[in-house]
Amino acid sequence: MNISVKIAGITFKNPVTVASGTFGHAERYYNLEEVKRLGAIVPKTVTLQAQVGNPPVRIFETPSGMINAIGIENPGIDVFLEKKLPALRKIGVPLIVSILGHDDEQFAAIIEKLNAQTGIAAVELNLSCPNLRQKILVAQDPAATMRLVGKIKKLSKFPVIAKLSPNVTDIAVIAQAAEEGGADAVSLINTFTAMAIDIKSRRSRIGNFTGGLSGPAIRPIAVYMVQRVASLVKIPVIGMGGIMTASDALEFLVAGATMVAVGTANFVNPRAPVDVLEGIESFMKENKISDIREIIGSLKK
Amino acid sequence: MEKIQNIYKVLANERLSQQYWRLVFDAPDLSREVKPGQFVHIRTDERGLQPFFRRPFSVYRAQKYVEIFYDVIGPGTRLLMSKKKGDTLDVLGPLGTPFVMPPAETRQVVMVAGGIGIAPMLILSDVLKMKKYELLLLYGGRDRGHVYPMKEFKDNGVKVHIATDDGSVGAKGRVSVLFDKIDKGPSPVFIYTCGPNPMMKAVQAFASEKGLAGQAACEEIMACGLGACLGCSIETAGGFKTVCYDGPCFDLDEVKFH
Repeated sequence: MNISVKIAGITFKNPVTVASGTFGHAERYYNLEEVKRLGAIVPKTVTLQAQVGNPPVRIFETPSGMINAIGIENPGIDVFLEKKLPALRKIGVPLIVSILGHDDEQFAAIIEKLNAQTGIAAVELNLSCPNLRQKILVAQDPAATMRLVGKIKKLSKFPVIAKLSPNVTDIAVIAQAAEEGGADAVSLINTFTAMAIDIKSRRSRIGNFTGGLSGPAIRPIAVYMVQRVASLVKIPVIGMGGIMTASDALEFLVAGATMVAVGTANFVNPRAPVDVLEGIESFMKENKISDIREIIGSLKK
Repeated sequence: MEKIQNIYKVLANERLSQQYWRLVFDAPDLSREVKPGQFVHIRTDERGLQPFFRRPFSVYRAQKYVEIFYDVIGPGTRLLMSKKKGDTLDVLGPLGTPFVMPPAETRQVVMVAGGIGIAPMLILSDVLKMKKYELLLLYGGRDRGHVYPMKEFKDNGVKVHIATDDGSVGAKGRVSVLFDKIDKGPSPVFIYTCGPNPMMKAVQAFASEKGLAGQAACEEIMACGLGACLGCSIETAGGFKTVCYDGPCFDLDEVKFH
């Protein structure tokens, strides 16, 4: 049975990875033998300088999901490279490093530092974090997406993945812009801008005022967006949005995703990525499917 | 411990007062490992998504079995209330940074708890009773429904003082009306507190005024409980820190209570 997939010439031994920002402290809490089984690991987005993140309250539970506004709390690229990368590399699973610059120069500076490293499979550009109070995200503007991806693509020695926002009129337009800019793949979707209100105090439940909605509540929209993008671009799509189980993940694969990322589910069931992987394998066995490629993009119309 | 996530069997689930419940489950490995102030993270809706998050509970006691103490306040604790002997429980734990033990020269240990904040104090007294401190529990509850006999504390040699907002049990008023039970010194006193933030803020102010050291067990809405999502961060003197991973137990003077 073949479950390996290829993106930008890199072979991933299976299509299951994790969404950035949902998989920390692997060394302390996760069974490393299980983590080693994943197709790739994506650590939390790292910025050029350290960021302390947004003021509390940062999360709120919603029906079948959550709103978060963490604000990319991270130690900055230098500390990441010195303190976190060695341990992550040691796990032995392809590493996709998620990065965010607040302007072109910051993105370029991060890429320069990453270029000096080994043991990185690909770089994911977080063009779509909704919690940083910009007026407009890169991933909400096709021209900006194409220009930035093009610029990074010229600089980076690693394949470049563009992470897209669902907070747009047509996500396929942005995906096509990323493709035109030279992206090796697109990953989608990031969270939906959202809000919950405490009716007693008449204030937002979230310290940052708004946050991003994730979890199974958004899954059907994510499946639709992945299907639409996959049908309109030639580069591979990494699909995510509320995957809790193998059958959720299989929907994304059938819709056209080459890989799938388990995100918010990690917060409820730390074993979710491995459960998803095992479930995909048993689905293939039960249905006598010998190659995962028979599933990817197999949606009938 | 082999795994952080396990399925355990419920042994008992009983009401202690009008408001409070105690759930007992069989988890020998967890029971051996857990330290006072640590918590377990329970998926109350094991198969479904309502509620979506796990619910964190301080370990109340860890002897032969693990016990948690809870207040039925929402969908998660309502589901927990419906658990019966023999049911399974999906548990992550033990999680978080435990209480530090009092300095060797300490004579009196004061536990100041409000409401459900009493939860980590029993396991703490189980450990501290071996060490010849004078143990004092100052407990504040809203009314009679928030008070229960606290026999286990008394069996541990803890002197228990109670205040209720309506005066239906013990002194009338907030738990701060009991602060005069605390040693005036000069013998060293160490404080542990857990409860609503305004109460812990009052304890912090009292400790600061009297020059007393201590620890606070904090509570915040949590998603992962593992320090991964960074959702439960609170403000401390050292910047934002996660309640689930850096805490829940912090130095009393470190936390910025709002």
